[in-house]
Amino acid sequence: MILKKISLVIVFMMSMLTTSAIFAQDDIGLTAKQVVEKFQSELIAVMKDGKKLGYAGRYEKLSDPISNSHDLAKIARIVVGKEWEKLSEDQQQKLTDIFIRLSISSYAHNFNDYSGESFGFDSEEETTRGGVVVHSHLVIPNDKPVKFDYMLKEKGNSWRIINIIANGVSDLALKRSEYTTILQREGFDVLMTKINEKIDSYSKL
Amino acid sequence: MPIKNTINVSSSTYISIKSPSLIFVMAVVLAGCTTTGSIEHATNKVDPYENVNRAMYVFNNKLDDYISAPVSKVYNKITPQFARTGVFNFFNNLKNINVIVNDALQAKFMQGARDSGRFLINTTIGLGGLIDVATDTGLDLNVEDFDQTLAVWGVPTGSYLVLPFIGPSTMRGIPGSAFDVAANPSSYLGMPIQLVSLLNTRATAEGALKFIDEASLDPYVFTRESFLQWRNNLATDGKSESSMDFGDDLDELNSGAKEVGAKGQSVPQDDLKAKHKLELSSPLQK
Repeated sequence: MILKKISLVIVFMMSMLTTSAIFAQDDIGLTAKQVVEKFQSELIAVMKDGKKLGYAGRYEKLSDPISNSHDLAKIARIVVGKEWEKLSEDQQQKLTDIFIRLSISSYAHNFNDYSGESFGFDSEEETTRGGVVVHSHLVIPNDKPVKFDYMLKEKGNSWRIINIIANGVSDLALKRSEYTTILQREGFDVLMTKINEKIDSYSKL
Repeated sequence: MPIKNTINVSSSTYISIKSPSLIFVMAVVLAGCTTTGSIEHATNKVDPYENVNRAMYVFNNKLDDYISAPVSKVYNKITPQFARTGVFNFFNNLKNINVIVNDALQAKFMQGARDSGRFLINTTIGLGGLIDVATDTGLDLNVEDFDQTLAVWGVPTGSYLVLPFIGPSTMRGIPGSAFDVAANPSSYLGMPIQLVSLLNTRATAEGALKFIDEASLDPYVFTRESFLQWRNNLATDGKSESSMDFGDDLDELNSGAKEVGAKGQSVPQDDLKAKHKLELSSPLQK
């Protein structure tokens, strides 16, 4: 009797573990290239329904794909550079939360419509420090293609995007300069206000 | 009277672009200002003159708000899109001569041959450059200039500078622009045509300027960073590894920040290449 109970509990626990693993890490076990391609196809799908969904709809639909393919917590840390150490734990948490919201809202704002764009894969390379760069490009009808290079790092069992370089301009480097400058010149509260204003304007435009 | 003022401002732009000595004088003046001014916030290796640069950035923006933007708006209204494209193509075609010269200076002979073909096709079939036929035949426009040539020759970027009327540049970019202006036939076409070129450039930049406003938290830093990264990307023909390894570099910077932060040096000493790359594309805090 006891044995049966124990085995039931184990089975129950195992099933719980697997389901939570599926829900928590959607992109587990995928290669870096697959993570990027999955994200790109999810993005294109949202663009296609962009107008119908509206900003709020796009935000909701993109939330999981972005969170599952990017390591947003790590990016939030990197963009403030060594200023991170000077922030209190509470501030670090606030920054991470708001940064995640900003990232999703900027995608929802910018990828709002579809006019025949598509992503293409070019190549993949390993970096010296164990990262992977996926080179791809966005084809825009009647316009020059835009190079998109994704820098990924392994987090647990899955690959996560930590930087996107569009036509040679690194998003991470750009943000890092802005954030550290604002923190140094104007402080944490101003940075929060500015990010909040940005999210606000993204939701309205 | 306002019209006269506008012309005065534009003509001084014209003079400053055309005359390298004037630009050098300005650069010296700029440098002089900063040594006496406060350097409280100038914590940045790439941008040691940040305070003066920011002031110049505000000045250029005001100039744009009050003069260039409204004039360009009118220009946009009174000229149809195909005319603007034609004007853009015409001046772009003239730039090809400078591109070809710089192809040669950088020993890019194959590209030089393609760019020469591009210039010939657009000048003849493309009706003096008004129609960009070459792009449709697969001869894309290459962006080469003397600043890139200097980079290929090993001249370092130098400090970031915001020049009055002109905008973002670097120490290396100043002699670079002077050479480019000298090697561009449109520089010798006289004032009214120059003005059309300036107007048209402003009109086509509308989208980019709007994007900066929309995407940036600090437009000054955003402009500086994207400008420096874009120039670096051009100079290395997109082969710059800086952008590739960034995450890793920053990662290490981050984890090592505590230990080395006190010494004011946050670059792994063993990796000079990474340091150089970072200096090129991202300012390090002292």
